[in-house]
Amino acid sequence: MGEEVRKHPIIICRCRDVTLDDVLKAIDEGCEDLECIKRRLGLGMGPCQGRTCIPLVIGIMARRLGKKPDELLIPKPRAPVTPIPVSLLLKSVDVKGEGEGGDENA
Amino acid sequence: MREEVEVLIIGAGISGLAIAYSLQKRGVKDILILDESYIGAGSTGRCATGIRASFTSKEHVVLMKHSIDLWKKYAAGELGRAGLYYDQSGYVWVATRDESAEFFEKLAKLHNSLGVNTKIIGIDELKELVPPMKVDGVAGAMFDPTAGKSYPFDTIFAFLKLVKGRGAEVVTRVKVTKILTSSGKVTGVEVEGGKIIKASTVVVAAGSGSRELLGSVGVKLPIENIPRHALITEPYKEAFKPLVIDWDTPGVPYIVQSKEGGFFMGRDVEEKPELPLTSQRIDFMPKAVKPLTKFFPWLRNIRVLRYWVGYYVTTPDHHPVYGPVKEVEGLYIAAGYSGHGYMMGPITGELLAEWILNRKPHIPEAERLTLDRFERGALIKELAVIG
Repeated sequence: MGEEVRKHPIIICRCRDVTLDDVLKAIDEGCEDLECIKRRLGLGMGPCQGRTCIPLVIGIMARRLGKKPDELLIPKPRAPVTPIPVSLLLKSVDVKGEGEGGDENA
Repeated sequence: MREEVEVLIIGAGISGLAIAYSLQKRGVKDILILDESYIGAGSTGRCATGIRASFTSKEHVVLMKHSIDLWKKYAAGELGRAGLYYDQSGYVWVATRDESAEFFEKLAKLHNSLGVNTKIIGIDELKELVPPMKVDGVAGAMFDPTAGKSYPFDTIFAFLKLVKGRGAEVVTRVKVTKILTSSGKVTGVEVEGGKIIKASTVVVAAGSGSRELLGSVGVKLPIENIPRHALITEPYKEAFKPLVIDWDTPGVPYIVQSKEGGFFMGRDVEEKPELPLTSQRIDFMPKAVKPLTKFFPWLRNIRVLRYWVGYYVTTPDHHPVYGPVKEVEGLYIAAGYSGHGYMMGPITGELLAEWILNRKPHIPEAERLTLDRFERGALIKELAVIG
């Protein structure tokens, strides 16, 4: 990558401000798959759950480690997949009698 | 991967890594750690980050007091420089029933008698500790200032860096299928594919997989893997420091804010043991948050980011199984924490290293936690029972 570009941090994960240098360092420190790097750096744990960063990191890791993408163990998305307001969740399932201060006050 | 090793540890979670670390401090160099998944994939990485000594049995209080001393010592030393931290921000227990407030007083006395300075706090102090909390209906509260929180992956990557740096080999994605013995002594393990690794000492620190592993040598470990759920919200500016427990709502919901600012919440909802970790329960999310909205009405306006499942690897008396297996020389267990394995990690490491090298731990209470307690009927008793 050109010197001019590398003067500035290259953001890989916009949710958690993870840079290319962070990713390369984690790989060099021994993270050999996406499950590891997700937890080391928080990649894929933000609001988009890796929609932007994971495809980028697959490429970076595969090249750096000489592995095929399908050897890199793509992390599972977690429910609710996209951030959901609590007020909406409280309406979604019958939670009557579950504690006090129910969503009738919402 | 080496084919012969002095100490082979099954499980690269907090327990396995802390045991390796403590063994290395005592001069053991030849260590291999195997994990069937990634580092911290089990209950370590799925826990809600809380650490406390305010328990209801003498064994738990004493062991956790020692563990907290180690958390602080480790955070101030080489592990701290490698990323491990202990944020001693306390636990607040909130009661809405008068009987529970009275129970807190009994519990605080028990803790104080064992050297943990838990104290009863008034409404003013509660508001100071947890400013954005609505205190209507609070009948009493207790504060454990020694408790705190720590992010599991910062911890285990710090341990990993140091134990690898000192020559331990850590291999992931290798499943141990069998523990091997010969005339009452452990001789090694067999891994998937049939390869054999020789070892004179084998430690089972494999969380939810421990029962099956020990079963391969006819040792019965009485654990159930009970799914427990947790969620985290989007990050916000720091609102309060301690972990807050809603003691009087069934399932005891709790809330704590993470280092990044997300609110962790959890609650015990009824679950069948052994359900796979992929068996998600969407109803968990409102069930966990709703009771907490009576104290934190503003939770309604924030968003849930992610939700996940982990196992409470639970024994009949809710205490871990530690130490040697009587029937098989060279075989050791560190499992069955019933939801408290992460916080106990540092003391687990020390105790198991002592057992392996000296045959006796320095904390007498730990000796009551060996596997033979279930045969002898010497289960651990809670000193303070809610009544």
